[in-house]
Amino acid sequence: MATSIHLDTVRKEFRTLGNTHVAVDDLSLDIPEGSFTTFVGPSGCGKTTTLRMLAGLETPTSGTVSFGDEDVTDLPPQERNVSMVFQSIALYPHMSVRENIGYGLKIHGVPKAERDERIDEAAEVLQIEAQLEKMPAELSGGQQQRVALGGAFVQDPDVLLLDEPMSDLDAKLKSDLRVEIQRLHQELDTTVVYVTHDQTEAMTMSDQVVLLRDGELAQVDPPKQLFDYPNSEYVAQFIGMPSTNVVDCAVEERDGGTALVGPGFELSLPAGVDVSPAGRVRLGIRPQYLDVGSAGACRLSVDVEVVETLGTESVVHGRLEDGTPFDVVSDAVDDAVAGDRLDVSFDLADAFVFGEDGETILFGSERAGERSSSPAGTGGVTP
Amino acid sequence: MATSSGRGLVSHDTQKRLQRIAVYLTALLISVFTIIPVYVMVVIAIQSPATTFAGGRVNLLPTEPSLRNFLVLLGSTDTVRYFVNSLVVTLGSTVLSTTIAVAAGYGLTRFDFTGKSLAARAVLFSYMFSPIVLAIPLYVVFSTLGLLNSHFALTLALTAISAPFCIWLMWQYFQTVPIALEESAWVRGASRWRTVRDVVLPVARPGYISAAIFAFAVAWNDFTMARVVMSRDEMYTITVGASLFLDRVSIGWGETMAVSLLISIPPFLITLFLQRYLLQGFSVGGLE
Repeated sequence: MATSIHLDTVRKEFRTLGNTHVAVDDLSLDIPEGSFTTFVGPSGCGKTTTLRMLAGLETPTSGTVSFGDEDVTDLPPQERNVSMVFQSIALYPHMSVRENIGYGLKIHGVPKAERDERIDEAAEVLQIEAQLEKMPAELSGGQQQRVALGGAFVQDPDVLLLDEPMSDLDAKLKSDLRVEIQRLHQELDTTVVYVTHDQTEAMTMSDQVVLLRDGELAQVDPPKQLFDYPNSEYVAQFIGMPSTNVVDCAVEERDGGTALVGPGFELSLPAGVDVSPAGRVRLGIRPQYLDVGSAGACRLSVDVEVVETLGTESVVHGRLEDGTPFDVVSDAVDDAVAGDRLDVSFDLADAFVFGEDGETILFGSERAGERSSSPAGTGGVTP
Repeated sequence: MATSSGRGLVSHDTQKRLQRIAVYLTALLISVFTIIPVYVMVVIAIQSPATTFAGGRVNLLPTEPSLRNFLVLLGSTDTVRYFVNSLVVTLGSTVLSTTIAVAAGYGLTRFDFTGKSLAARAVLFSYMFSPIVLAIPLYVVFSTLGLLNSHFALTLALTAISAPFCIWLMWQYFQTVPIALEESAWVRGASRWRTVRDVVLPVARPGYISAAIFAFAVAWNDFTMARVVMSRDEMYTITVGASLFLDRVSIGWGETMAVSLLISIPPFLITLFLQRYLLQGFSVGGLE
């Protein structure tokens, strides 16, 4: 039975040689039952530590972890109905694939006949039937990871934890396994918690993405929401490939309103937008939302440094006139070369405005109405 | 060495071939020096002294194999008793030392406790002691406890010599066993003991077999401890017993070589059957 998970001001400190390191800093979070939730963030942000606390492999310094209504904060891993797939895969080298998958069932005293039946079922789902009698060392990396997945879900866990299960696999296998894992999630009645530093995995697989920063919650939202409404500069920059362009702007009074003045451009804000006058703010624009040419309301030029071709579109890495790095993604820049000056434009609807503390103070799309020629889908995710 | 620099006219294949020849020559030379003494021992052991010394010289090509030397050993010496004593203390000390090493190695790599690095250093330091340094203090201890001339005391004394190295070996070995293997078993519901039995011990097998072989070799070849702890003739081990033969007029080359042959058999069997694990374990311990 899938269960919901609740973290209440969970804190984890590690003490080494008198130094205290706060890995998870008073994290509160609800994970709905049966959902696919991904923890994402740069290394050291506390995502793996959080996962290990869900598994019972670490005990929180303070705060509580509950599965449904049950407080499991101090329960050892053996007494939680969880399964976990480790980054290092962790197959038992002395057991065959069949024994590896069935080890948990054996521990729980499932009779051999039923065990074999369930192992065969799992192997069929994961397409490793032919490997069942082999030893782990005879398998490829992708097959090993499938075996590890099999061992985790064959036990029918309430909670399935995956700790960067694909970080050692190549790109092709990753995209295969991504689909596999989502399929498993749909078939199983289990709450999946997935940890990754790869935002593509987070964005493509999850119902809910938890973005952490230095052990604290930066934002938790469904992927599309996270992409469209980042609550801070950090989130806007972390989610989306390439990163959101962020430009320093001055706020200046204009006739009948306010304008943001950046290097080589000026963006007037609609009446009623409250940005502290005469202060400085930062403007965020996703590279995908820039138009080459002058269709948008606000125009600026980019000095091209590097052009990466991705097939249908290209990524232009350049700089604004004051040296601020600025990227453009477009299908209309095929002939751009380093040294060119590229004219691009955008509308308020494409922009975020961040205050000096990094919080988002304005979502352009909310104030300017939905743009008619909005780019399709979550363009920030590499297909 | 085989390829003189400067010329550069020797082809790559020739270089390889010369290299291989050099390797084989070296191996051959080393084998000759190790095999000849063993050969001499075997030949003298399986010939009667009359055959060996016939014609006023030492005959080393066996013409008339005989069991005469072994029969003399069995008939007129306590060889069997010595051999059994050796087996008892060696097996005891091997099991004890390996068990201590597995427990200590696991503890040192899996648990944090105050004074851990001190304990680790103490283990390495105690490994530096030569047996004779420990022998007299241990004699005093055993004498006080009334344990002299017991298999038990000698087992403990031998374990004191072999355990530090075995602990160090297992400590190194357990560092190569990923903790994720154990964590994965815990999450699946296995208790810590069950995990040790099902996962840790099987994975650490090359390590503890190496440790056991080392402990075996230390105990089997020991002379010092047995000499100090055992003073009664019937408690001697085979090494001490054999050394006494040389002092006896009635025992000659033939019998001495025969007992040497007997002493060589257990280590020979062990290396024969367990060499695969020995190499695996020691390569992790950094002794490759």
